[in-house]
Amino acid sequence: MKVTNLTASALAGVVLAFAAGAEAQEFPERPINLIVPFNAGGGTDLLIRGFAPHFADAIGGNVFVSNTAGGGGTVAAGALAGQRPDGYQLGYFSITVSTIQPQINDVPYGLDSWSPICSVAASPTVLFTSESNPMTTIEEAVEAIRAEPGRYLYGSSGPGAITHLTAVAAFQGLGVIDDVRHLPFQGSGPALQGIAAGTIQFFGDTEILMQGGGLRPLVVFNSERLASMPDIPTAAEIGIEAPLNELYLWGGFFAPAGTPPEVVQQLSDACGEAIASEGFQAFAEQTNTVLAYRNAEEFDAFYRAQYESNAAIIEAAGL
Amino acid sequence: MLSVLPQAFDLIFTVEGLMVLTLGTMLGIVLGALPGIGSTVAVAMILPFTLTMSQAPAILLLLAIYAGSVYGGSISAILINTPGTPQSAATCFDGYPMAQRGEAGKALGWATIASVIGGLASSIVLIFAAPQLAAFALNFGPIETFALILLGLTCIVSVSEGSPIKGLMAGGLGLFLSVVGGDPLTGGPRFTFGSFQLIAGFDLLAVVIGVFALSEVLIRASQRGEGAPPLIDFRGIVLPRLAEWRGRGRGLLKSVVIGNVIGIMPGTGAATAAFISYAEARRSAPTRANFGKGEPDGLIASESANNAVTGGALVPTMALGIPGDAITAVMLATLTLHGVTPGIRLMQDNPVLIAAIFAGFFLINLMLLPLGMIVSRVAAPLLRLREAYMLVVITLLCTLGVFFVRGNPFDLLIMAAAGGIGFVLRRQGYPMAPLVIGMVLGPTLEISLRQGLIITNGSFGAFFTGHPIAFGLILAAIFMLLLPLFRALRARQG
Repeated sequence: MKVTNLTASALAGVVLAFAAGAEAQEFPERPINLIVPFNAGGGTDLLIRGFAPHFADAIGGNVFVSNTAGGGGTVAAGALAGQRPDGYQLGYFSITVSTIQPQINDVPYGLDSWSPICSVAASPTVLFTSESNPMTTIEEAVEAIRAEPGRYLYGSSGPGAITHLTAVAAFQGLGVIDDVRHLPFQGSGPALQGIAAGTIQFFGDTEILMQGGGLRPLVVFNSERLASMPDIPTAAEIGIEAPLNELYLWGGFFAPAGTPPEVVQQLSDACGEAIASEGFQAFAEQTNTVLAYRNAEEFDAFYRAQYESNAAIIEAAGL
Repeated sequence: MLSVLPQAFDLIFTVEGLMVLTLGTMLGIVLGALPGIGSTVAVAMILPFTLTMSQAPAILLLLAIYAGSVYGGSISAILINTPGTPQSAATCFDGYPMAQRGEAGKALGWATIASVIGGLASSIVLIFAAPQLAAFALNFGPIETFALILLGLTCIVSVSEGSPIKGLMAGGLGLFLSVVGGDPLTGGPRFTFGSFQLIAGFDLLAVVIGVFALSEVLIRASQRGEGAPPLIDFRGIVLPRLAEWRGRGRGLLKSVVIGNVIGIMPGTGAATAAFISYAEARRSAPTRANFGKGEPDGLIASESANNAVTGGALVPTMALGIPGDAITAVMLATLTLHGVTPGIRLMQDNPVLIAAIFAGFFLINLMLLPLGMIVSRVAAPLLRLREAYMLVVITLLCTLGVFFVRGNPFDLLIMAAAGGIGFVLRRQGYPMAPLVIGMVLGPTLEISLRQGLIITNGSFGAFFTGHPIAFGLILAAIFMLLLPLFRALRARQG
């Protein structure tokens, strides 16, 4: 036992010496791992794989992408929280993974588990109905719901997903949440099929979905009207009050809490440089990604404010 | 569709197009044959390579990987009783017994021809009837899906003849395993006992590989010295002669129809199709008494149905722009990257591209035959390894495959536990197929039932009134359940 202890402390000493030596050198001195909390091949995975080479150029080191899926992204976040805060492992987490799941599920991380690095993308959400539905405006929709309480269904891609929260924000904000019913699906694909078939009447997601056709936007959860649908009112315009009036599907990079400020700064700057790069801008345009860069300081404040304001929607959703 | 075919061929018959078709299909077969790397992972692995290609070859490459991997899964199912993907689990039932009695080449021959016919038939359906079928698919709401899955569950009865009670117990265990994790409708944890890892539930692949492959390794290892069965003798595919097809045509046709219909519906998939088709064949085939002991009809039912799903799954994807599963979602994402907007106008706006995709899909299925023969010939020497080495290789492949999918070490524990439990249960005579069927069908059964109850305001009676398709399917399920009873009674009287 004694020998083992001795070996262990000797080893620890060696490791410490190496660590000290490492700190003196420039960050990064080994590859940085960008963790996608979903399976390879999804939208988030695609975005990060498109981002990685530009980030590598900006940080001046190697960058690789890995996937840890499960639990709607919480498995990866749970595994990253509490890891060594050295800036070599960054998770790309959405609004749901970072601010919703910790408030509705028993996950091993929370508000203070992270050093936010930068936000990358943010798309405002839109509430849709089917083009085959008679209602053409949000006012008509509310009228129809009031006339026949309990008749209409709104879909979601799963409980607690951004699609769920969008519909909840709309109907809670308009005071008809108790007159509509929620039908969760397994992902947006089946929900879209549901709206095409008339099983559900309402669905909320980002504007990208509109391109598929067959959908009619009713209200936009943005601070101003969207250029692509100038006739559609914002939530605030139709009387939905804060914090329910703005909702964005955003995502950004998080490092474990306690990452040294100078490393955070360096990562955050490189992130901004990569997002501004011509290559990534072109990639974002191709994939209809709405880029929204915030540096570490701005993102930290944004993330904390979102955590607070989403609590209201979570309560309204009954999660 | 036909009028634009010449232009479509211009897109396919290029050096890039033909290379993509050949190499993609071959790679798909290899990836599918490796345990663990299912179709979804195989397609995702290839996705980055498509970014630099032009539209048609990029989609064709993904399609080639998809169709190849669904077929490739049958190779390992037949040769080492390890379904490369859950969708070829039903192929093990008759494929492995055939291989054990020295007819591995022949079993693969049947599986190959069945896969090719299933895939070709589904691509013809796709070319001629995609828009009409997509409209029909919209009639399938949660209530109809529930009824269909209920019908699928009755195949537990047919795959556990001999010991129906043990089969039902294994099926019940499978259903139970599928409810562990986050509640799909409320998000709350169920049966997780405070374990965060279990929020994601048991990974289907880890359990399938554990109960089929790892338990097989353990059984083989435990039999060493007490007359372990000889290793599989395999020297390449032996195609069935035309005369041997006599009397099998009807079953084949039925399986192809089942595969196509299930493929166009959201939320089901190739594993469901293979199980339902196998159960139907076991009910109605003249050779049903031999099922489970190495009957080619069982192989045909499973393999033609799971390959027919590939074309069916493309129906709503291409005709409506709505993906039904993860694989078709990846394909739509690829289209977006190449500047094609998926949606209900996809076919109208891009007729030439879609025609090229459909025609290319037909060619891919045609090429499964020669490429399948080449790949299995190359793989054959591997099977001549000494048994001890072979078991190590299988264990290693399983471990890598399971870890690769989600990158979660917890899945390895699940696989090991499933292997141990599978070993014990199999020694006690519990069949493992019902367990897997329960796990595959369980989630869809639960979600569709609960969605249906939300739609009808909690009235189960409303499932029967106003939903004729669902009503018919539920009647069929009851018939399937009672059939063994009738047969037993008639046998007693006769």
